[in-house]
Amino acid sequence: MAERDMARHLVDAVIADSPDHKRGTRPAHTIGIGVKGHFRASPVARDWCVAEHFCGREVEASVRFSNSSGSPVQHDGWSDARGMATRFHLSGGGATDLLAMTLREFFSATPEDFLAFAQAAIPRPVEPPRPWRKIADMLRLFPPLPDPYPGQRTSSVGGSMAYSGLHSASQLAAFDASFLGAPVSYARATYNAVHTFIVTAPDGTERYVRFFWQPAAGVEMVNPDLPPIDNYLQAELRDRIANWPVEFLLLMTVGEMGDPLTDPTKAWPLHRMRINMGTLCLTEVPDDQQAHCEQLAFNPGRLTDGIAMSDDPVLIARKAAYELSRELRGGAACPFDAV
Amino acid sequence: MSVRRRMNQLVPRRASLNDLVNSMSKSRLFGWLAGHVLVPYWARKTPVHKQPGGARATVQPGDNVQRMMNLILPLKDKTAVGRAKAAMAIASNLDEIYAGLDNVGTVHFARFVIIENNMCMISCYDGDFSNYIRDFVAQLGTVFDSVIALIEDGEAMIPTRDNIDTFINWVHDRDVYQIPDTATELLHYGTIGQPAVKSGEVADLRLIARALILQLHANPNALLGSGYRGYPGISAARIRDKMGFGW
Repeated sequence: MAERDMARHLVDAVIADSPDHKRGTRPAHTIGIGVKGHFRASPVARDWCVAEHFCGREVEASVRFSNSSGSPVQHDGWSDARGMATRFHLSGGGATDLLAMTLREFFSATPEDFLAFAQAAIPRPVEPPRPWRKIADMLRLFPPLPDPYPGQRTSSVGGSMAYSGLHSASQLAAFDASFLGAPVSYARATYNAVHTFIVTAPDGTERYVRFFWQPAAGVEMVNPDLPPIDNYLQAELRDRIANWPVEFLLLMTVGEMGDPLTDPTKAWPLHRMRINMGTLCLTEVPDDQQAHCEQLAFNPGRLTDGIAMSDDPVLIARKAAYELSRELRGGAACPFDAV
Repeated sequence: MSVRRRMNQLVPRRASLNDLVNSMSKSRLFGWLAGHVLVPYWARKTPVHKQPGGARATVQPGDNVQRMMNLILPLKDKTAVGRAKAAMAIASNLDEIYAGLDNVGTVHFARFVIIENNMCMISCYDGDFSNYIRDFVAQLGTVFDSVIALIEDGEAMIPTRDNIDTFINWVHDRDVYQIPDTATELLHYGTIGQPAVKSGEVADLRLIARALILQLHANPNALLGSGYRGYPGISAARIRDKMGFGW
């Protein structure tokens, strides 16, 4: 399938997963908040990657935290993936982006599989499981199916779990997603960039790596036994930043021969070597969220010299799909590969 | 009575039944039922293998450093006297232990812990398990002998230097099972003779919960995942080299 056609199918599929999606907004991660700050590379980062933002000079950064749903209705307290899209502003008006989420792996290894997954995950009416079904599950030593959240009428969980039951590649993501929960703060979650990138060291050595953001404040989730609160994450972040900068460490995991380099459904072992590439310090929530957040169009394929995409087919497809999505919603263009 | 009124009466009743069922799953009664009736029932109906202990064989460099060993060795004498003998077997051999650690050079840390009449040997080492034990027996054979003499089924191994392969297998059998880091791997540890989920069969991911329970039934002692590391992927030799300790 041609790249542009696939991009169109992907965007349509994501929009279909949110029947109440509002035209002109992001197809996914629709609700979010933009913040500003700066990134300072660690002293060793330049030894591993020649990209400008790893070479010592502090660079400005724009970050958008988000909930993953494409719905315009906010449900901060629901268990779901959260996004952290970061733009590093480079010299000469250039930029490079890093898109990450709280899930450690993706649901599909190819864009074609993702289309099938998205089709399966179209929300369907949901009702509380019948008590006898829960008892039967407990007798089978299965965790009972959870009740829907108060007011929840539809859910994609049943469809995505059924799909994962038949497609082993998506099982780990589906399983991990069922434990995600909701963070107490956007600043208290770990965000994984999921895909493999290739970084170039000063001596020309190329390494396969994956990035993730680790919160300096530590990770903390809300108590899942308490009723979910629909709207707290943005206010919490404003309060937090008004009092103290929010910091994240950018960690880079170095892959090894035998690690899945092009398959985002497979997380790398946790005991791979990881390098501290620098600290992101978030200091301001801009008043004009439209200009500094909603108009920004992040793209996992917006890279700079020293960082390249792997052959991960999902990453390649996301580059075109995100660009098409930007066009459809009228997001601000940001030239690729501009440095 | 209209259908709507009937429904209105039924809905609250169902909601309260739902609440009751939800609370039931966390009740002590259900906990007892699960532990004493359901687990034995499912363990008989879908028996699982006792899994081999220790870190799994792998060819990847990052998996071959900082491997975890957790031996649980039941003491023969389960009194304070027996525990004191075990403590003395270690305390009286400190020079041998430190010399062995320095000469072998692949150990990040090691410790001996007495837990409920078990001598536990816990270590984090680099490289192949067999070579690790082989190196230590060469360096610390007499210390192993003095400890193993206090352990159930240990005497047949003494002297360990003369029974090295048997001793390696004996140690491996007593190294605790390491639960996979990736939860979905549990789907592949099925009932004896068949995987938990057959090829082409729909997998209910909630089966992972039962698979874990049954694994822990068959393997009561377990390391949760392969361990957590502050400086992953780095060998003890590399740390010594980079720190300028003169090794």
